Amino acid sequence: MCDYYVFDGAAGVSQRGPARDRSVYDVLDDAATSARFVDYAQGPITRVRLVLPGMHCASCVWLLEQLHRFDPGIRSSRVDLMRKTIEVEFDNTRTGLKSIANILSSLGYEPLLTSEGTEHDQDAERREATRKIYLRLGVAGFAAGNVMMISIARYVAGESGMDLTLLRLFTVLSIALSIPVYFFSASPWLLSAMASLRRRVVNLDVPVALGITTLFVRSIFDIVSGGGEGFLDSFAGLVFFLLIGRLFQQKAFDAVSFDRTVRSFFPLSVRREHRGSESVVPIDVIRTGDLMIVRNGEVIPADSILMSATGYVDYSFVTGESVPIECTSGTMIYAGGKVVGTAVRLTATRPVSQSYLASLWERTASRTPRSSYVKLSDRFGLWFTAGTMAIAVTGAVIWLPNVALAVNVFTAVLIIACPCALTLAAPITLGTAMGVLGRYGMYIKNIGVLLELKNANTVVFDKTGTLTSAKHDVVYHGSPLTPEKQEAIEAVASHSAHPVSQSIAGNMTPSSTANVMVEDVGRGVRGRSNGHEIVIGSTAYISEILGDISIADDVGTAVAIDGVFMGRFVMRSHVREDVPDMVQDLRASSIHTRLVTGDTDRDAVVLQEVFARDEMQFRASPSEKVAAVEELRKNGAIVLMVGDGLNDVSAMAAADVSIAVTDETSTLAPASDLVMPAARLADLPGLLMYTHELTRVISAALWFTMAYNVVGISLALAGILTPVITAIMMPVSSLLVVGMSVAGARLFARRFA
Amino acid sequence: MSVMPLLVICSILVAGGFLLAFLFATKRGQYDDLGTPAVRMLFDDVHKKTENN
Repeated sequence: MCDYYVFDGAAGVSQRGPARDRSVYDVLDDAATSARFVDYAQGPITRVRLVLPGMHCASCVWLLEQLHRFDPGIRSSRVDLMRKTIEVEFDNTRTGLKSIANILSSLGYEPLLTSEGTEHDQDAERREATRKIYLRLGVAGFAAGNVMMISIARYVAGESGMDLTLLRLFTVLSIALSIPVYFFSASPWLLSAMASLRRRVVNLDVPVALGITTLFVRSIFDIVSGGGEGFLDSFAGLVFFLLIGRLFQQKAFDAVSFDRTVRSFFPLSVRREHRGSESVVPIDVIRTGDLMIVRNGEVIPADSILMSATGYVDYSFVTGESVPIECTSGTMIYAGGKVVGTAVRLTATRPVSQSYLASLWERTASRTPRSSYVKLSDRFGLWFTAGTMAIAVTGAVIWLPNVALAVNVFTAVLIIACPCALTLAAPITLGTAMGVLGRYGMYIKNIGVLLELKNANTVVFDKTGTLTSAKHDVVYHGSPLTPEKQEAIEAVASHSAHPVSQSIAGNMTPSSTANVMVEDVGRGVRGRSNGHEIVIGSTAYISEILGDISIADDVGTAVAIDGVFMGRFVMRSHVREDVPDMVQDLRASSIHTRLVTGDTDRDAVVLQEVFARDEMQFRASPSEKVAAVEELRKNGAIVLMVGDGLNDVSAMAAADVSIAVTDETSTLAPASDLVMPAARLADLPGLLMYTHELTRVISAALWFTMAYNVVGISLALAGILTPVITAIMMPVSSLLVVGMSVAGARLFARRFA
Repeated sequence: MSVMPLLVICSILVAGGFLLAFLFATKRGQYDDLGTPAVRMLFDDVHKKTENN
């Protein structure tokens, strides 16, 4: 299947369009910079890990694992298709990170090089956590299987059917197998319970730990004292199932990496002009007063002053304003803006780490993270522990003269009341939901987010990129244009780097050619095409050329053909099609909606069909957005913030729960609890409904096990149940809970299909 | 029946061997990436020969 990839050496491999300017990789020669990507280094052998967002298929894996054939200095390369990472081991005396980056780039897999480097620590930590669960699961599964087999043999043989040596061996084996289960496999719950008690909080792990401990201690006590055969089979099985729940949680958590810092938005390097020569340097090297050159589409890394005559900066990342801003020489430019059109020269006024953007981010990061799942678990834990303790003590007191029976009742209650259903049902239901949602492009930070979403009663929207598409339309007002004239305008416009011109040229096929005569940068462009003389420019510019003052104050970009004013082009962003219905749906489920945007109110007319006037707030700075969210929260609202840009980040952190909306094109999304593609925005009401259904699934599972256990124990006390059936019933109840959780989460997720 | 204890101990030991193998494999990272190996096995090794020439 891979024969078409057979190369003769490394020749002729860059088929993926014009190769990107490779000089950006020069910075990788800098030891401190490249060290951010190094996983491991020992003598001449270095191993780096790079993220390649472009890899997607089996052929990619094959090609990328053949890297050693392009450069003999590369010893081996190994791909992780799920995480989209590649580990390259190379001989640092023969090759370097820069040439590896060049090879990858020439193959069409441009490595993601942000100034943060590859997140080694987090990834290693997560990998370690998953391994631990597997180890615990292995031990618990091994013990559970064997103890169950032994127990069933004993149950079937009954009191008299087994000789004494065998019985003694079985007893010793069961205890020996259970000890590692308690001390190793069950340790997450035991440790968490102890830690929470030390903090004087009772989380849900406390009753679980209590149940497990009672089950274990009482079984050992019964066996040693000869008072019974114990429940070690149920104990090992229970821990096994609890660990399966843990694994679900961890797997879902593994799927997405969410933690971003402001640095991951910044490029690794910037072009610096120093004493007349241009070189690519790491952004950390930039000092106040350095001259930087930033090209079309690149992000400005530091607050700076514009040195070029004019330039266009797209601040949509920072402020949410969707139309690029025209800046003239001497203007203060903030880090995080993206250069549009011609390259600009900038003088840095502050080092990268002290930029306005970085300070915005730090304010966000200093907030303490909160998790609804932990809160729920804490609240529920206290309630649950108090309840079971009360019942257990009451039961014991009733039987008090008879100490043996009292102890029996006390422990039995603790065992039955172990909230295994909840500890099993919640992570499995929510973990499954998380996986299913991921399939539809909605990535959730952790399972607690689903519970936060359920509680949300106010949705705050950002406008640009969220409700309106990030791309904007250019609308023409004026005398009608013939297709031929329209084409001529587009042809001339396509020669200008001005963002408005670019929008006018839009998706034009270059059918007509144009001779540009003059481009007065920042004012307008003049040219000839299809035999017409076309002038496009600001209204002031056109009026100057035509000598017609009447149009000078008009808004928009004017166009004149053969010396006659034709009309104006006005930029307008359009509300996404499904937004009105979506907002209606939210209102129908009595959720309040608000719009807070950094944008101007030029779209107010369009949005008035969707939002009431007093629900909209325009020209809000990032800190005003935070204030808006905080005020809502102060008035008792549980706020869901939906945004898309860095400018929303602080408001998103201030809200109870946040959703970042991304366009397919953008790979960067700000830190948030949930990331969803813009096309899925219509599903927001459905998503909120889904979270309600999920909690219903969990509580159904909870009530089910409660009933199951109560019935089971009553029958057992009445002597109707034989021990064999009990031994089967216990794991079956856990299996049923797992089944119910998975089926429930999947069933209700069908609405997204 | 006297053979039973022996059998039980043997079976536990065999199963224990598998458990140790599993623990070893997990520690060595066998279960870290469950997706890529499924794809990797699709490639044939034919090209290796040409490389050695």
